[in-house]
Amino acid sequence: MGARSNKTLKPKPKLPKGAALKKFKKRANPLKGVEYIDYKDVALLRRFISDKGKLRSARVTGVSVQQQRKIARAVKNAREMALLPYPNSAR
Amino acid sequence: MRHYELMVILDPELEERTVAPSLETYLKIVKDSGGKVEKLDIWGRRRMTFEIGKKSEGIYAVVDMHCEPASVKELDRQLNLNEAVLRTKVVVLN
Repeated sequence: MGARSNKTLKPKPKLPKGAALKKFKKRANPLKGVEYIDYKDVALLRRFISDKGKLRSARVTGVSVQQQRKIARAVKNAREMALLPYPNSAR
Repeated sequence: MRHYELMVILDPELEERTVAPSLETYLKIVKDSGGKVEKLDIWGRRRMTFEIGKKSEGIYAVVDMHCEPASVKELDRQLNLNEAVLRTKVVVLN
């Protein structure tokens, strides 16, 4: 018990701000060379959804906020036309 | 005049040969109102990711056109009256 609480109370070594994040390298933008995000381009959109069919966050895929909005729209349009699946928790 | 793209999913039990002519008759609405159809692309039979109206496949067709908003609206309305049309989508392109 004593040893355990000692461990949790140990002050963390001081790190410069953002040092913990430095491990993660920013991904190259996967949308290079795509000027219109088309809902018909299933192969492209597949890269921005998870196995369950959920949209991947921009933080994961490394696209800009503006692009993420367009991707979200395209994916939702594609879902309506049964080109992409709706998120499915069963699988 | 605006640039539109229309996607239609048709009943898979239709004969694929009859799709183009029957869509052409609908596209008359666009042509008669002064619009023009740039491209009629029939993708053919394709597996859908989920069932629509108990059907797991559909015949996809994409139309690229320039026309007035009112005529697309009318076209969309008439397509949806047809039982063989499972779903439609109109997208505005710039």
